Amino acid sequence: MTDTTRASTGAAALSADRAAIRGRRLWPLPKQADPDAPLLVVEGLTTQFTLGGSIVHAVDGVSFTLDDGEALGIAGESGCGKTTTALSLVRLLPANAEVVAGSVKLFGIELRTKSATALRRYRWREISIIFQGAMNALNPVQRVRDQVAEPIELRVGLPRADAVRRAGELLELVGIPKARGSAYPHELSGGMRQRAMIAMALACDPAVIIGDEPTTALDVMVQAQILELLEDLRATLGLSLILITHDLSVLAETCDRVMIMYAGKVAEEGPVGRVFGSPRHPYTQLLLRAFPDVHSGRRDLGTIPGMPPDLRDPPPGCRFHPRCPAAMDVCRVEVPPEVRFDDRVRVACHLYPPGSAGSPRPLPTGPATAAGGSP
Amino acid sequence: MPVRAGQPAVVRPKRGTIAFFRKLVARRDGLVGVAILSVFTVLAIAPALFVGPLETAITATGPRLAPPSLEYPLGTDELGRSILNLTVHATRISMVIGLLATLVTVLIGAVLGITSGYVGGRFDAITMRIADFFLVIPTFVLAIILTAIIRDVLGTGSREVLGIRLSLIVIVFVIGITSWSATARIIRSQTLSLRELAFVDRSRVVGGSSRHIMRSHILPNVTNLIVANSVLVFAGAILTETTLAFVGLGDPFQPSWGQILDAARTVGAPGLGAWWYFVPAGTCIVLVVFAFTLLGGALDDVLNPKLRTRR
Repeated sequence: MTDTTRASTGAAALSADRAAIRGRRLWPLPKQADPDAPLLVVEGLTTQFTLGGSIVHAVDGVSFTLDDGEALGIAGESGCGKTTTALSLVRLLPANAEVVAGSVKLFGIELRTKSATALRRYRWREISIIFQGAMNALNPVQRVRDQVAEPIELRVGLPRADAVRRAGELLELVGIPKARGSAYPHELSGGMRQRAMIAMALACDPAVIIGDEPTTALDVMVQAQILELLEDLRATLGLSLILITHDLSVLAETCDRVMIMYAGKVAEEGPVGRVFGSPRHPYTQLLLRAFPDVHSGRRDLGTIPGMPPDLRDPPPGCRFHPRCPAAMDVCRVEVPPEVRFDDRVRVACHLYPPGSAGSPRPLPTGPATAAGGSP
Repeated sequence: MPVRAGQPAVVRPKRGTIAFFRKLVARRDGLVGVAILSVFTVLAIAPALFVGPLETAITATGPRLAPPSLEYPLGTDELGRSILNLTVHATRISMVIGLLATLVTVLIGAVLGITSGYVGGRFDAITMRIADFFLVIPTFVLAIILTAIIRDVLGTGSREVLGIRLSLIVIVFVIGITSWSATARIIRSQTLSLRELAFVDRSRVVGGSSRHIMRSHILPNVTNLIVANSVLVFAGAILTETTLAFVGLGDPFQPSWGQILDAARTVGAPGLGAWWYFVPAGTCIVLVVFAFTLLGGALDDVLNPKLRTRR
């Protein structure tokens, strides 16, 4: 097993170790790891659900990268494949789902082709998840500390006493006093429970943490505290984070890059300032318009008329064309290619063909946007 | 990483047990339950201390069916044996049968219930069909047949296993296999709903094997059910022993409360106004079952952290 003494020295050592991230992790990198490869490279990831005889194209050719210490936000409407994308990385999918194509490379190691048994080594140990709805993800009759210790015991193989001690340190790291570790989940507040879930995600010192709507169902104050905690942890431990959320303001605050998804495809992806500052894709523009902005005098929120498409039979061409105010003839026939521009923003839209300057184009004020009532 | 057996027991300190006991006794129902059961346990362990050895109980010395007197505080039976003496000695047999049968029943029921609920599929289907068989066939009829058959195979029970007469073990075994199915059903249904909860998924993701999940996540969540069920099984076991004794499948050399009740009925004690014959044994059964009910409620509260009041 791994070096027990180092593992149990605790939070202080943990942060020191992670200062220079790669190569100094608590547990050594997997054997075949390529030290020069980017942390996580996902290419053409395609996941399908089989639902009553028909196939749901939940995630269709999604590509992205994640660097060491980077935070990537994934946003989009419900059912656009955000969570499925994230869970596909380590194949934590329901029985009727299958990753059918693409590649997932962690430190240059291909995870997609690994057998279920081989992949288990990477789950939680290298890629862990902060679950949404912390109450359900905690066993009501087990002490919080023991639950945080569970992955350490099972995955890292520390003896129970050491695992429990380290769990106490992790709880302290996320702002739960050591003594409260002996509490049962119902004795903790919602924010504390979410903190415990974060501690659990940190337990095995993973390379990537996926936050699946970690602040949903929390009130605004607690939400802010949790986000602050994630920020702190990112600064001290150099976490690499994938944050999934509906809340664009959360992404703006915590992430370096955002990826806007629509109907299982990437609509736009790039540095958070560029994407939110000057959105290019019509969907991004409409999505941002549907969000309140305290600084502008805008009183009405925009809506995007229509519904996300049925992914059993997605529309041909661009999947957004039925709802797009700027839809052209080509949009109905041809799938728009993903084009990367000089400011590192990637857009999949026929408005921005390859080789174009890629300057953002305002949407026509058609009937679609008039409904939103923006001036 | 396989779960290491016995690991938690080593880590958990002994003061945990003492604290647990203290919590139990701090509640009024827990205290009463523990008190009553302690009295009966002492009676069961050392009946000779109070009323003399077993030989004095089964030897007739007094007048027939005499009402309570100074010499015989609870009167005598139709042969002139002291009822007090008989009842105290019967405690041991009734308690041992009740406890062992409950243990066997709950063990089989909990293991099969949790496993078939969690594993599901063919194992679940087969186990539950077997459970259905035992639920549908009248317990009593099955118990009589089984007891007779096993007796026949093993020979009559004057042999001893671990200091317990073989005939008693047969009764315990028969009660166990005829009443596990209800327990298994109840625990299985609870397991079915537990296994869909997010923390079970979480444990699986984190690397827990099925055995680990069943042991550390499902079992603690059904403990209150198991405890509550044990109380009912205990009462049922004593009654089943009573009925088996009634049809002559008990052990005549070892008196039990059930045997005393049945002897009283055979003699017609209620009709003769000989209340001292059946009231002591009846009271004992009621008291023990009552104590278990109290203890069950108290244990439920103490074991379930959600119901526990914070101090």
